Amino acid sequence: MTVSSLRQYLQTLEMRDDLHRISEPVSWNLEASAVTMLLNEEDSRVPLFENVETARLVGDPYRGSQRRPWDRIALGLGLPPDLSYREYYESVIERLKNPIEPETVSADDAPCKDVVRTDDDVDLLDFPWPYIHAGDGGRYSNLHTLIAPDPDSEWVDWSYHRSMIHDSETSSVLLLAGEQTPNLYYYKYERRNEPMPVAIAVGVEPAVQYTSVMWIPTGRNEAEYAGGLKQEPVELVPCQTNDLRVPATAELVIEGEILPNERRDEGPFGDYFGYMHGPRRSMPLFRVSAITHQENPILPFCVEGTGVGHSENATSSMEIGCVGPDATLGLRTAGFDVECCAPWKSTPRTVYAISTEKNNPSYLHDMANFIFTTWGMLHVDFFIFVDADVNPLNQREVLEALTLHADPDTDFHQFGVETMPKVPLNIYQTPTEKGDVQTGTSKAKTAKAYIDATSGGEGKAVRETTDVERRYRAQKTLERAGVDPNSLPFVDPGEGS
Amino acid sequence: MSSVRQHLERLRETNDLVSVTERVHWDGAAAEVASEAIRHNCPVTLFENTSGEIRLASGVYGGADQFAGIDQQPWQRITQALDLGADCSYSKLVERLVRQESVDVDDYLTDEVATTVRDDMDIYDLGLPTTDDGSPLVSLGLLVVEKDGVTTWAPIRGVTQRSKKLRLSVPASFAEWCTQESDASVVFGVSAASLVAALQGWTQVQPSPTVPELAAGLTDVSMAAVGSRIVPADAEARIDGRMSIVEKPMADNENGPKAAWELTCDTATVDVETESIALREQAIVPFTPLGEPLTDDLHLTCLVETAKLLRRVNNYWGVSPVKWIQIPVEGRLGLCIVSSEILYAGFEWQLANTMFSFSKLFDKVLVLDEQADPTNLARAIDDMWVKAHPANDWVFSEPNASSAAAPVYRSADENGSRLYINATWDPRWDEEYIAPRVTFETTFSENVLESLVERWEELGLEELLGEQGVNDVRE
Repeated sequence: MTVSSLRQYLQTLEMRDDLHRISEPVSWNLEASAVTMLLNEEDSRVPLFENVETARLVGDPYRGSQRRPWDRIALGLGLPPDLSYREYYESVIERLKNPIEPETVSADDAPCKDVVRTDDDVDLLDFPWPYIHAGDGGRYSNLHTLIAPDPDSEWVDWSYHRSMIHDSETSSVLLLAGEQTPNLYYYKYERRNEPMPVAIAVGVEPAVQYTSVMWIPTGRNEAEYAGGLKQEPVELVPCQTNDLRVPATAELVIEGEILPNERRDEGPFGDYFGYMHGPRRSMPLFRVSAITHQENPILPFCVEGTGVGHSENATSSMEIGCVGPDATLGLRTAGFDVECCAPWKSTPRTVYAISTEKNNPSYLHDMANFIFTTWGMLHVDFFIFVDADVNPLNQREVLEALTLHADPDTDFHQFGVETMPKVPLNIYQTPTEKGDVQTGTSKAKTAKAYIDATSGGEGKAVRETTDVERRYRAQKTLERAGVDPNSLPFVDPGEGS
Repeated sequence: MSSVRQHLERLRETNDLVSVTERVHWDGAAAEVASEAIRHNCPVTLFENTSGEIRLASGVYGGADQFAGIDQQPWQRITQALDLGADCSYSKLVERLVRQESVDVDDYLTDEVATTVRDDMDIYDLGLPTTDDGSPLVSLGLLVVEKDGVTTWAPIRGVTQRSKKLRLSVPASFAEWCTQESDASVVFGVSAASLVAALQGWTQVQPSPTVPELAAGLTDVSMAAVGSRIVPADAEARIDGRMSIVEKPMADNENGPKAAWELTCDTATVDVETESIALREQAIVPFTPLGEPLTDDLHLTCLVETAKLLRRVNNYWGVSPVKWIQIPVEGRLGLCIVSSEILYAGFEWQLANTMFSFSKLFDKVLVLDEQADPTNLARAIDDMWVKAHPANDWVFSEPNASSAAAPVYRSADENGSRLYINATWDPRWDEEYIAPRVTFETTFSENVLESLVERWEELGLEELLGEQGVNDVRE
């Protein structure tokens, strides 16, 4: 079934008894995030807060289960949630290979235009943006799609930069130089002293949200990839106050512009790697020109910092379910022989594992160099290369490869000490090293490293069970004895023939 | 006191045991099923119906991969087997092993063993699981030898050769202690305390032949005399015979994958010529497939080596800054994690290199702050990635260190570098630089938590998380 809106996605969850409606009044001030964090940690249902002053909130709607983090993402794509990671990755990759052009609809056919507010009617504080962690610098919208155009071409970038609400018509936006939209802002608009037109689409349909977190190459139409993921065109509608088009089924759209040479505080914030990081930094100022929304809109948010260790949240699950397949496809497209590229399951964004048949040192070096310089340079600090038969999403298997196959003498490779850029969203640099520079990168540089944990010529540490037929029979024996089949990985006896 | 039978019965009561009642042949099939079960965190597997005289069991002292879920405590079966209870914490278990108490065994001697000699059997009749080359595998057993009135038990790994001979790998220190030839017993289906004590007695720096006394120091272990030897009285199977030390090492085709304990010490080879076999009624013999992840022998070795390190390191500086140590079974002995108060700048360097001095197993050490949780491996490894500076805190030694035993990239006579990763806060940093963790407790004030508790039912959390959930929030 095609899922074309957040509402439809939530209905899908509800049909699976996977949505928890809370009709009692709930405060946006830490209460909604406390409930969400609790349910995240307990691997429970997705909470929909139906009574939060003027709107509704939904906490971490795309959080996957701890055992299969991609399962709810799959539901958003109309895929079965019980696919193995390989099946799921390959399904998403196939869809990404077949983009579909978006369609433009009129405002009458766009639910996001149910209510249109411009001029004096615009007030960000009319909506219950959540205050997520005690100690945060403010209230945030942090699960949305930020839409911004390249001033020199037709290209429009969709991204995922969080925004801290300041008052009724301004917020600060976390723009870290080195990423696509921030580069447009810092090195084009701001240098020309021009405002960057922007729309922040909140509560978009799943395929749009997923595309926003993927590393779609510069110049490519992200709406087409969202269409590919959805296997139907995404419907777009023109904005009220600028030339951008936004997803028509978004719950709420904030139109405006990011002003040149204007800064506001952003942070501290409990961040994706599980720690509060600070101090406050200056980030570009977003000034709102219009707000359009559906009746009784649903605003999704993510309790960042909970997608570490065993628990999942929307960010960590989308990293596994969206960025992983996209990165795998990206590496294959670049000509690298990659079985799978996936994030370390309990630490989103900092470290990735890549399984590959190739273990030639220069091949791995070239691949690491390609990744770090093209899309991994800001947030990702480590890549671990493992054999093709190691599941990158199985932390035990990757840890075992690292401990038994990565030789401290020859297999740990740093791309220079203090030579690489780093975003200040880390905790290993002091505030002095992070600095407070205009582009949001750290003042001090860092190193990037890749680890060759392939077995190379040294032989496998683990006895390989190559007889698929025997494994299959062994699993069937266990199932007949009462072992839960869900605890066993899928083995296809046909693979052995 | 936990015999294997009592232990398995307890596991059955807590749904941590499945019985395979269909016929599974010991020739390869049993090991295949066991491997699949262990790799995927299944309950203990009891093979009720093999074609041999014994019933096989696997995963008896193993446990699940900690990454598989926050509630996975892979040492839980061992705490139960040592009569410490399923709720015994990791730290308490290790502390118990650290004590290494020795107790006089006279009080533990019973009148007789539980086994009965079977005249009509040879080793093949037992139905031990086979190795890749088809030889019956010997694992999770003990070799019992007496010398000058002292009985000792040693860990073994080996194969059956012909119907009457066992060829076994044993700790070299044990072989040096023994006379060239002696009467001996090989016992299977023994308690966890016996296996742990044998490892503590013979795989540590200072050998300690009084293994039955160490076992009695861990928990009640019933013992009985067989000839001049003291054996675990409740062993499920016993092979009596004549042991001789073999001068030449095991041939390659006898080697196969090693048991985990063999990485901790030098080994020697012995042969045992069988004279008689004794079994309990419907004997149950635990075994462990070798060369696989998460196996019983890995679990036992990780714990024993960890206890050794904790005992040594916390007696080293005159203070005890180390909170916990873990050689995670998931890392197959190749990684040591140590959580400690960092006494002064550079202490983490001292600490990591002390670990390297005290164990030859690993060449990678991860140092964590004292607040780290020993039961959350996922979070511990997360700190390695996000808290340690990729350039400054991944510290490599010069390439002159001895080769570690667990990794496979170097032979024993090659030197190389070691690596420690410092994922602790720098004690020179001001407090304001220290980033607090995002946890339920740090993220929400008491008021928010109190309100949550008060509104538990109206928010529908009772239905989802139950009473336990609200208690967790209260705490």
